[in-house]
Amino acid sequence: MSYDEWFRTDRLPHIYCAGCGNGTIINCTLAAVDQMGWKKEDTVFVSGIGCSSRAPGYILTDSLHTTHGRALAFATGVKMAKPAFNVVVFTGDGDLAAIGGNHFIHACRRNIDMTVVCMNNQIYGMTGGQGSPTTPLKCLSSTTPYGCAEPPFDLCELATAAGANYVARWTSYHVKELEKAVKVGLETPGFSFIEVLVQCPTAFGRRNKFRQVADHVEFLKSHSLLKAKRDRLIDQGQPVPEDMFVVGEITKRNRPAMGVKP
Amino acid sequence: MKLSIDENRCKGCNLCTKVCPYTIFREGKRLNRKGIAVPELDRPERCANCRLRNLYGRQLCGVCQLTCPDQAIHWVEEEPYEPHKVAIEY
Ligand SMILES: Cc1ncc(C[n+]2csc(CCOP(=O)(O)OP(=O)(O)O)c2C)c(N)n1
Ligand code: SF4
Ligand code: SF4
Ligand code: SF4
Ligand SMILES: [Mg+2]
Repeated sequence: MSYDEWFRTDRLPHIYCAGCGNGTIINCTLAAVDQMGWKKEDTVFVSGIGCSSRAPGYILTDSLHTTHGRALAFATGVKMAKPAFNVVVFTGDGDLAAIGGNHFIHACRRNIDMTVVCMNNQIYGMTGGQGSPTTPLKCLSSTTPYGCAEPPFDLCELATAAGANYVARWTSYHVKELEKAVKVGLETPGFSFIEVLVQCPTAFGRRNKFRQVADHVEFLKSHSLLKAKRDRLIDQGQPVPEDMFVVGEITKRNRPAMGVKP
Repeated sequence: MKLSIDENRCKGCNLCTKVCPYTIFREGKRLNRKGIAVPELDRPERCANCRLRNLYGRQLCGVCQLTCPDQAIHWVEEEPYEPHKVAIEY
């Protein structure tokens, strides 16, 4: 397929663990980017620090692999200096929502024209599995050995409340849906946020009964609740299952945006 | 078109065995020189993309390729007059 052309093939195979879903998300993102007809010289990939943030290193365009949590700050700089550039950010749940939380809400508020793909493995993968702000209740990590007692962030609700123009959530199982969502994100002026729930067999799965990669992917599939279905349940006054998460296009609107291509 | 797995890239995660609607990928049993059991292909000529890509002039299905986290799945053109097994799907 032609999105192959966006890979630095000399750098493959990448360093991700066997069964890590980050590679799937790179495929889907590049497949969407490829359909935009963008020139490589005009496209910049930006990331912070984490396994997820290694992604731009495998892509042929210019890229910025910045400091932990600061991907959006650097991306803002690129976009404000060069509004004609296409800016795509890869980030992780720790990078975006823990150390980078403030950059996240303010990038949404400013509604800067970029697309952010968050690989949410619900853990700090790179540093050996510490709990993150999205680690679900009761899940085990090296910093929550008795089960996580803190309620997690809902990143999509956060992005919506803070002002992003486009917000969607999918999982590493939903490859076609994810590709389409990223494409809509790339086309939408203003801040587009796509959260992807993804398996991390090494740091998360191993501790949380997902030793087999396929079991975790099956869990992501079976616990996804389409937004349309969730809305129907609410309309009918029926309870929304608590152990499921909403997937689909969550927000699409047209707030004033910054850095939009002239 | 012919389905092919790049042995240098595959890490043997077996996600492809889970997602193909025709279950063309089967868990591999033999370890390659990197110590990885690369999945085996079960009658790959059944794959929608193998059969119809050139006719339609575009990628069909492709779920395995998008899913493969290690960019190991791709298609190669066949040699002219390459022998074919005829697969009949009921
Ligand atoms: C300023 C700073 N603090 C802490 C770290 C250590 N560190 C590296 S990666 C990481 C967490 C990454 O988590 P996430 O963004 O979820 O990425 P993942 O590896 O899970 O994809 C941390 C805390 C660092 N590199 N720099
Ligand atoms: S530690 Fe987790 S996120 Fe990092 S490469 Fe391994 S599986 Fe992927
Ligand atoms: S999904 Fe890719 S890396 Fe995993 S077993 Fe199949 S071909 Fe190999
Ligand atoms: S393209 Fe579709 S049908 Fe063909 S091998 Fe891949 S998943 Fe199976
Ligand atoms: Mg993480």
